[in-house]
Formats: sequence, C-alpha cells, structure tokens
Amino acid sequence: MTPFLLYNQQPTQIVAPTSAEAVADVLRDASAQGLAVIPWGGGTRQGMGGPPLRYDLALDMRGLAAVLAYTPDDLVLRVGAGATLGHIQDLLAAHNQWLPWNPPLPDQATIGGLLASGATGSLRMGYGTPRDWTLAMQVALGDGRLVKSGAPVVKNVAGYDTHKLHIGALGTLGVITEVTFKVAPRPAHCQTLLAAFSSPLTILEAMQQIGQPPFQPISLVLLNHSASKANPILHSFLDDTSPHLIMAVRFAGTAGAVGRQIRTAVAVCVEQGAHTIELSETDDGSIWHAIADDLRPTDQLLIRVGAPLSHVREMLRLVESIPYQRGWPTDRYLIAGAGLAYLRWPVVALPDLLQALTELRAGLAGIGGYAVVEDLPVALANTDSPLDLWGPPPETLALMRSLRKVWDPAEILNPGRYLV
Amino acid sequence: MTREMLITTLRHHLGSRYVLHRREELMLYEYDGSAMDQAMPDVVVVPGSTAEVAAAVATATRLGFPIIARGAGTGLAGSTVAERGGMVISLARLNQILQIDPQAATAVVQPGVVNTDLSRAAAAYGLHFAPDPSSQRSCTIGGNAGSNAGGPHCLKYGVTSNHVLAITLVLSDGQVVRVGSAVSDTPGYDLLAAVVGSEGTLGIITELTVRLTRNAEDVRTFLAIFDDMEVAGACVSAIIADGIIPAALEMIEGEGIAAIESWAHAGYPPDARAVLLIEIDGLREDIADEARRIARVCTASGCRELRTASDAAQRERLWAGRKGALAACARIAPHYHILDGTVPRSRLPEILRRSAEIAAHYDLKVVNIFHAGDGNIHPLLLFDLRVPGTRERAMAAGAEILRSCVEVGGTISGEHGIGIEKRAFMPWIYSVEDQSAFADLRNVFDPAGVMNPGKLLPSPTSHSSLHATEPLLRMTGRGAWI
Ligand SMILES: Cc1cc2nc3c(=O)[nH]c(=O)nc-3n(C[C@H](O)[C@H](O)[C@H](O)COP(=O)(O)OP(=O)(O)OC[C@H]3O[C@@H](n4cnc5c(N)ncnc54)[C@H](O)[C@@H]3O)c2cc1C
Repeated sequence: MTPFLLYNQQPTQIVAPTSAEAVADVLRDASAQGLAVIPWGGGTRQGMGGPPLRYDLALDMRGLAAVLAYTPDDLVLRVGAGATLGHIQDLLAAHNQWLPWNPPLPDQATIGGLLASGATGSLRMGYGTPRDWTLAMQVALGDGRLVKSGAPVVKNVAGYDTHKLHIGALGTLGVITEVTFKVAPRPAHCQTLLAAFSSPLTILEAMQQIGQPPFQPISLVLLNHSASKANPILHSFLDDTSPHLIMAVRFAGTAGAVGRQIRTAVAVCVEQGAHTIELSETDDGSIWHAIADDLRPTDQLLIRVGAPLSHVREMLRLVESIPYQRGWPTDRYLIAGAGLAYLRWPVVALPDLLQALTELRAGLAGIGGYAVVEDLPVALANTDSPLDLWGPPPETLALMRSLRKVWDPAEILNPGRYLV
Repeated sequence: MTREMLITTLRHHLGSRYVLHRREELMLYEYDGSAMDQAMPDVVVVPGSTAEVAAAVATATRLGFPIIARGAGTGLAGSTVAERGGMVISLARLNQILQIDPQAATAVVQPGVVNTDLSRAAAAYGLHFAPDPSSQRSCTIGGNAGSNAGGPHCLKYGVTSNHVLAITLVLSDGQVVRVGSAVSDTPGYDLLAAVVGSEGTLGIITELTVRLTRNAEDVRTFLAIFDDMEVAGACVSAIIADGIIPAALEMIEGEGIAAIESWAHAGYPPDARAVLLIEIDGLREDIADEARRIARVCTASGCRELRTASDAAQRERLWAGRKGALAACARIAPHYHILDGTVPRSRLPEILRRSAEIAAHYDLKVVNIFHAGDGNIHPLLLFDLRVPGTRERAMAAGAEILRSCVEVGGTISGEHGIGIEKRAFMPWIYSVEDQSAFADLRNVFDPAGVMNPGKLLPSPTSHSSLHATEPLLRMTGRGAWI
C-alpha cells in the first residue's frame, strides 16, 4: 500500500519533521507557496472528513514522539503529539497511572491525531473527554506561527484556552505539536458486567437505573445483536446465540465498592429479564479494548449520532428504524451518559445512502440531535454527488470561518475536509 | 455629547430606571472585589433580557464606548473596572434559574444567578453545581464563566469550564448566538472553550446551560495538624502521589491559624504552623479505604495530629475555619492583597518558603490560605497602608512571588484571572507569537475592540496608571473567604 495515500490521492511531497520548529517551518513555506498540507499521525482516523480538495504535502508527525516531561507525583505529562496513545498508556501504567481515554486503535493512533479528530471512548462516562484532561498545547498555526496556550499545572486561567479550539478541529486551525495532560491514578479494581436483554425497552430501563446513584459506572455501552456478534472477544462470553441487545457496564474503585455495584446491577438487569455474565477482573482490560476497537475504520460507513440525554430513546428509535425499513444490516453502539450512538451502514447505492442520511438528520433535527460521518470508506468517496459529511453548520459558522482565516490564511490545512 | 447620546439611546431601549448615570449611582461600580483599581464608568445598564443586552451592546459599540460585563463584581483582578470609562452591563436582573433537568443533570440559568442559589435549588434532586469559589454566596454563574472560576472542590470535580455546556452570547455588534451545546461532540470549533474564562472580552453571556454533579454517597473531612509548613506542603504531594484525589485539599499556614481560631473557633490548634483540611467523597467502601490511606500518609509525612470530623456538625466547624479565614486575617493587619498563582504540586514546599522570604524582604506579613491539592497558592499579603511606601512594597512583593511561581514551572493565575492586575506579567509565560494568537481570537469575536478593552492581554497603554486612593481592604461581607 502506498503510504499517505488518501482516497486514491497521492501527495507530491512527504515531510517528516522531528521538531516543532521544523513543523512550523514547513507550514510557513507551504502557506507561502499555497501547498495543501495533510497532517498524518497513525492514519487511523483519516476517514473523517473525506477526500481533500487539494493534496500536495503529507506531514508525518510521528517524528515528534518524545515524552518531554513526566512527574508522576504531579500527575502531569507533557508529550510530543506524534506519540501513540498506547505508548503513553504503557509509560503511565508503570507508575500505576493512566489517561482515562480509550479511543480505537491506541497502539497506532497518535495523541495529536486523536485530539484533532475529537476521538473519545466509553470512559468518558466516568472521566469526561480529553478536553477535560488537556492542560496545555503547542501548535503550529497554518501560517507557521508556533504558539502555546495553557500551562503545565492543573489549574490555570492565564490567557484564553485556545488549545481546546484544536480539539476536534481536524487540524484546520493548526497542527498540534505538543500536548500537556493531567493524568489520573489507576483505579485499584475494574470489573465488568455483561447483560443480554431481549427488548429495547428493558435494556433502556436498566441503563437508566444503572446511570443513577448509587451506581457510578465508568463506562456503559449498549450494542445491538449484530454489533456484539461482530466483536469476537465479546461474543465469546455470550453463550446464548439468539438475538439479544447487550449491555456492557464497567465499575472501578475498591473491591468493596465495585462488588456492591456489580451485585446491585445484576439485580437490576435480572429484574428486567436479562441474562447476566460477570466478567473476571482479568478479562476487564481485553473486553474494553475490543469494544473500543469496534469503532475503528472498516470498509463500511460509520456514522456518529448525538442527541440530548432527554431524547436518547427517540434517537435510538430513529437509528434503528431507518436502516430497518431498508433491510440493511447495521451495527449499533450507544455510549451511555454521552447521548452518542455509532452506526455502521453497509456500502449500498449512493443515492440510497444519501436519502437515508437525509432522513436520519431530519428526524434528529426534531429532537435537537445531529449526525456526522465519522468514517467514510473509499468506495463512497470521489463521486459527483458526495455525502454531506457534517450536516448543517452551527450558527457560529461565520466566527469559525474568521478564526480559520487568521490562523490558516492560505487555507492549506486539510482543505475541503471540515465544515469550516 | 456622545455620552448624552449613549444615555438617551439606552434609556429608549431599557427604560430610564435601568440606566444609571448619576455620579452617586456610578460610584458603586468603580471597584471589583480587590479594590486595587478604581475607575468610574460613563453609564451602568441593568438589562432585563437578552434582547435588552443586545440593544445596549449594539448602541455602545456604535458610539464607540467600551463595554464591561459585571456579575457580582467579586473578581479580584480588576477585570470589571471601567478603566477607560464606558458602559458597565450589570447582569443582576437576569437572575432566574430557568430549568433543572434531574435526569440529564443539567440546569439552564441566567448569568446573574448566585452560585450557591443554584446548588440550593439543585439539592432537591441530589445534585449541585460543582464549581464552588470561596465567594460563592455572592458571585454569579455568569461571573464564574467569565473568569473560569475554581474553588476547593475543583480539585476532584474540575473548574467552571468543565461544567458549562452551552451559552447564549451577545457579540459586540449586538448579534445573539448560541455557543456550545448540551449535546455531546457537536461538529464545529469549540468556541465555548475560548469564551469561558475570557473575562468579558469576547461577548456577554446571557444564558448558560451547565452540568450539575450528583451529591456523593459518603463524605469524610479531616484536619491534619503540622508543626512545619514545608512538611505540610510535602504531605499534600504525598497524598496525591499515593493515588488519592481528594474532593478538597486546602491548606492554611502561619499566623493565619491562630487568627482564624480566635475568630471562628473551628478547633484549629493556635500553635500549629500549618493545617490541611482534607475532604474525600464517593462510595462508602472507597471512602473507608481512602480514609485509611490518608491516615497512613499523614502520619508517615510527620503530621502532629489527624482529626476526623465524625458528623456533619463537626465537618461544618472545620470548614468554618477555612471559610472565615479572610475575615479573621483582616484582624492581623488592616489591609491585604490576595495573590493567586499555581505551581506543580511537588514544588509547594519550595514556593511557600520563597513567598515567606519575599514577604520578609519587603517587610510584609504573609499568610497562605489556599487550594493546596491543585498547587493553587493564595499568599495573602498583610500590611498597613498608612505606613508610607507600603503599597509599592506590596505590589513589588506580589510580582516577585508570582514570578517565582513561573520559575518553578507554574503560572500567574490559577483562578482569579488576569484583568488589569496581571496583564503586564503575561509576557513571563507567553511569547509575542502566543499573544498574537490570543489577539487574533479576540479580534474575531470583537473586531470593534470594545469588549472590556485593555484587559487580559498586555498592550502598550496597559501598564496600569490607576492607583486606588481608597484603602485596599473592602468589606467583602460576613462569611466572605478566599
Ligand atoms: C472573598 C473572595 C473569595 C474568592 N474566592 C475565589 C475562589 O475560591 N475561586 C475563584 O475562582 N475565585 C474566587 N474569587 C474571585 C471571584 O469571586 C470569582 O472570579 C467569581 O467567579 C466572580 O464572579 P462575579 O459574579 O463576581 O463576577 P465579576 O467579578 O462581576 O466578573 C468576573 C469576570 O467575568 C466577566 N463577566 C461577568 N459576567 C459576565 C457575563 N454575563 N458575560 C461575560 N462575562 C462576564 C466580567 O467582565 C469579569 O471579567 C474570590 C473573590 C473574593 C472577593
């Protein structure tokens, strides 16, 4: 496979800087020459944003992978944006710490790429998103200015929190070169309960109860039958092969607190007619890695849907009915606590997909929700009538555009791939 | 002439009752909570709706007047002071809690809602608003968002920016926009992150959707007593290093302890050199375990005595000492200046030593009462302004202490903001390029340059020419605490 190939487009140059200053130099020159730049980390999320309008230069960020500072006693870590999340987690684990963030493919994905693409994971229920853990950043802006914001301490209000603007911006304001995180002590114990339900009503009722005190789950995800079947590790625990909806819920803390929550959660699930499986602590890590990796890119279309927590049921009804009416098999995942669902649709005729996506968005608009394409397979790109990946823009689009105009005036960063 | 035009137009939009322009009315708005700077605005408006805020803002912008948002005015960095004159917008009338959604654990509030009022209203659902600045009985949610306020319990639960989901924002041209969303991960730049903590320089917040936090199942509060301040500082690090994130980890040191004790009778031993107030919360089994570990760590660190509050009344009493600290210390000397800086937690002993040395060098008293778990120090410089030259010594000592925070890898503000007070220090931590990116952002939101101009970023004209003529000390009300 050709490296840095993006939707069958090839760059004319590949640059692999090893310092932030060099990244800034590349961007300054590219701006002057009007060369379109695609920043690359591990490439695990390049399916977000679809094909670029132009593609001249591949900027390989993996050369900025050094751990720049780590004081375990301060729970603060400063690292080059090209380090993989997996590498960081290994380092932290040696000190019994972690970054409570579990997006897909951590061993390949880089910190910078994950942040730029707004990657999150199921741990957000217990620990929030990386936005809450990012203390500071150094960024090379599109015009080549190398700037930082934030501070390497856990509390800081000096200056604007501009680093957070780069989270989820898909690299369109600048290229992240360095990140400072607050990290957390690893919980003493983590344990997971799987429960198989036969109806959407009962699983939602159980989810609702387990989301309230005294429960404090750190992760709670729901998978439809097809999604659970697609996950071999998860599937290996499910002895019953009849169609079921699966809940995976994870608790952390002392053995006593975890044990009590598991017991109470079992009672809730059984009350709702579910069949439950308590996993051993040793299976806990692997099952959640596997669940996180469920959302990796495949050759199918991956859609992310969000809705207000008060409308999760309506959201689920919509995401179920639209493919069902069309006879499409779909994998569906719900990240509880966040009101997010991920859907995998098969690659069918584009007009059908267009129509289904439009219908989904119309339904979601009615409940204040949205849908974006999280991963666009190559087979659906490069057509005359492309899918609208981002949906209707927010009402602050004009502000966003002016911001991009001042930080990436030559519009060289990921052109045509973001809504701004 | 233009001032008259401004007042006339504002009266037309808001009604004359809510447009204050007489000297005696304006005098109430000359200061913030620090009283370090003082300046009189041209006019103060007290709008009753987003539409009125928008009309007032559009008017002031058109006529070229600075616009300064004001919540309760308890800020400590001068950011609500109208140093260039202009229009102060008081959000005091926008004080309604519009909705509490217990299921989603969110609330929709107007900016003038007082911080504790929201937690009180949410208590019925077992919820609270986590940011708890020590001024929480008077400061407002809008002001908290404007300054990205912290508080004792932000150690575990995060500062204001972690709890604001969406806002309604009036831009300098009077346009009203929604920024952020209660829905997760909506596409588009995270402009909300930039607005929270922007000290009124990007727009006026007229409504907020905030996250509420579920009350913990169990709470335990400890008082750890030390004969040595640096030992106490090291104990803070040791607790964090042991993998415990307390809900709050506060420290009081020096002469403050005796002063507090004689004021609040909280049971602090007057001869102690430092005390730590440690609170943990969570599920009861976790709390039992953490309580054991805290006892172990404190003993190993050389703590003289560890007391545990056994019931709510004892807990309140321990906190009463912390909460009465400012009022109590005001008895040590008639005037004070509160500093706010952050250092890596492991550098706490060092910075405490440094601040004591610096204060001594300038012949000032210093008491540290602060959010130790975050490394967020608040050296309280105490002095008597009637002694000539004291103000200058206090300012110099303050600058030197903050400079030391930067030198040990920290920053110049953990929670009080930059405002007027610290804008000249920004170059200590941000390069010219860093600042240019901040300025870009500001221009995008406020191309006319009217939103709280001169605050937060250094500018050629910014070195404060203002000198408060009033005493530094202002009554912050009974029960005020830093
Ligand atoms: C005794 C005492 C103790 C304190 N303790 C703490 C503490 O523990 N932690 C802490 O963080 N702070 C503390 N402070 C500082 C202060 O109380 C906080 O900064 C608080 O958040 C300010 O709220 P306020 O309503 O008084 O806002 P103001 O002081 O009126 O305003 C603060 C800033 O926000 C802006 N602003 C206000 N309303 C809006 C709005 N609607 N839209 C846009 N911008 C707006 C203002 O322009 C200003 O820049 C303390 C102050 C005192 C006097």
